[in-house]
Amino acid sequence: MELTYLDRIKQAADYIRGRIGERKPAVGLVLGSGLGDLAEEIENAVAIDFADVPHFPVSTVEGHAGRFVVGTLEGKQVIVMQGRFHYYEGYSMRQVVMPVYVMRRLGAASLIVTNAAGGMNRAFRPGDLMLICDHINLTGDHPLIGPNEPELGPRFPDMSEAYSKSYRELAHRLSSQIRGDDGDSLELQEGVYCGISGPSYMTPAELTMLARIGGDAVGMSTVAEVIAARHCGMSVLGISCITDMAIGDELEPLTHEQVVEVANRTKPKFTALVRSFVREAEF
Amino acid sequence: MSELSMESRIGEAAAFIAEKTGDSPEIGLILGSGLGALAEAMNDVRVLRYADIPHFPVSTVEGHAGELLIGTIGGRRSVLMKGRFHLYEGYASSTVAFPVRVMKRLGVRTLLVTNAAGGVNPSFCPGDLMLIRDHLNLMGRNPLIGPNEAAFGVRFPDMSEPYAAKLRDVARAVAEEQGLAQQEGVYAGMLGPSYETPAEIRMLRALGADAVGMSTVPEVIAARHAGIEVLGISCITNMAAGILDQPLSHQEVVETAERVKGSFLHFVSALIPRL
Repeated sequence: MELTYLDRIKQAADYIRGRIGERKPAVGLVLGSGLGDLAEEIENAVAIDFADVPHFPVSTVEGHAGRFVVGTLEGKQVIVMQGRFHYYEGYSMRQVVMPVYVMRRLGAASLIVTNAAGGMNRAFRPGDLMLICDHINLTGDHPLIGPNEPELGPRFPDMSEAYSKSYRELAHRLSSQIRGDDGDSLELQEGVYCGISGPSYMTPAELTMLARIGGDAVGMSTVAEVIAARHCGMSVLGISCITDMAIGDELEPLTHEQVVEVANRTKPKFTALVRSFVREAEF
Repeated sequence: MSELSMESRIGEAAAFIAEKTGDSPEIGLILGSGLGALAEAMNDVRVLRYADIPHFPVSTVEGHAGELLIGTIGGRRSVLMKGRFHLYEGYASSTVAFPVRVMKRLGVRTLLVTNAAGGVNPSFCPGDLMLIRDHLNLMGRNPLIGPNEAAFGVRFPDMSEPYAAKLRDVARAVAEEQGLAQQEGVYAGMLGPSYETPAEIRMLRALGADAVGMSTVPEVIAARHAGIEVLGISCITNMAAGILDQPLSHQEVVETAERVKGSFLHFVSALIPRL
């Protein structure tokens, strides 16, 4: 008999549980472009390649390792996704969000999701961090299409507070104490993340449209993961690293290398913010 | 065995229904959450289970009736779908369109489609009825994708009047006679199944939407393609995300639909004979 989606989630979680011993993660982290190194700082770590997890697809994108790291960060038990599955790689939305359900099943009741994004708000600068206050799903798809698994969550999940208000308030408070290697304090913006399918970057006309409908940043991940996280009752903190400006009438050619360069430059502040949030938040 | 064409499958389904019922309905009814009770107002009813109709899609949701009712309402020969297909359940939009095309083959010339919708226009209140003036297809799908079914309609169907102005006039007149407060506006069709975020609702408002839901649009596109005239009515069962400081729940949708069911049914029953 063919396994259901729920069966596959359970088997994947069982496999990981068998590998991590006494560790019981309370919070999941999805590390986007440039932030993957944080996984190296996990203590008492066990790393599990996505490729070894039953029913998991294998990540293909450059610069993404594609593994779970389970251990301790800032005294908290964490499960980190170093690399993620993107819709543009050809995975179904259900595949994209499967790790979220697996982390939930392993005990994580909160999710910290990070990404690299283009800034559409003129007040932003490359290298800024943006707390995601809300999102617009413009991927043209949805991870919950198909029969609902009531054991995971309700048929029609509420999205009126997809990104926890109390988490955002805490992150703002913590950000004022963070300084980068350059001595500058962290500039923490807040805004609406537009999730597109990609993989092409947006045209100027598309960026103008996204700005008009209320978007502050644009990227190719996060939205599906957050929908799944809310579906299964996780509280979410989302942070975008603004790696480039994506303003319709000022658009310059963009390469993935530029995105990675800015992400690397911002890494110390980004890492400091995530670490202090993990330390101070109650999970 | 070679695969039957869409046209043949629709033809076989319609022929089966016509043979079993010996009737040719002129009005099609696709009713949203809470309005299934209209079935009880039907006379001379014959019931066909979707599962027994050749090629007809079958509801995967447990507890959904999945029946086609054929009979008369207010003296008008009607076919009513008890159980509807939604894109969020995983059906292709051509599957959602299939019953509409079967209706066309049976002789349906007018389609009444209702739904439960979230109020995007802040002047709406839960419990309001909204006459659908127009729609936004934001589902990223279109039921006519693929080779055109020329037996039903043209490759590029006009959508300049998806909801017939003269049927809206009739609905407005009936509502007035019944002293029923009725809104009028644009329905945004979203894929679902999660409710929208507040940012998505602000987007919809900027785009010109008054209400939002997860059905209706593919059915209406298929109907217009086939030359069926459409009247659409939304029951505003809740305010969309971000308008009120409270989460959305399916429970609220069901409760509001239940609360206004009586007046909605009364309205629709008076409307049908005049379509």
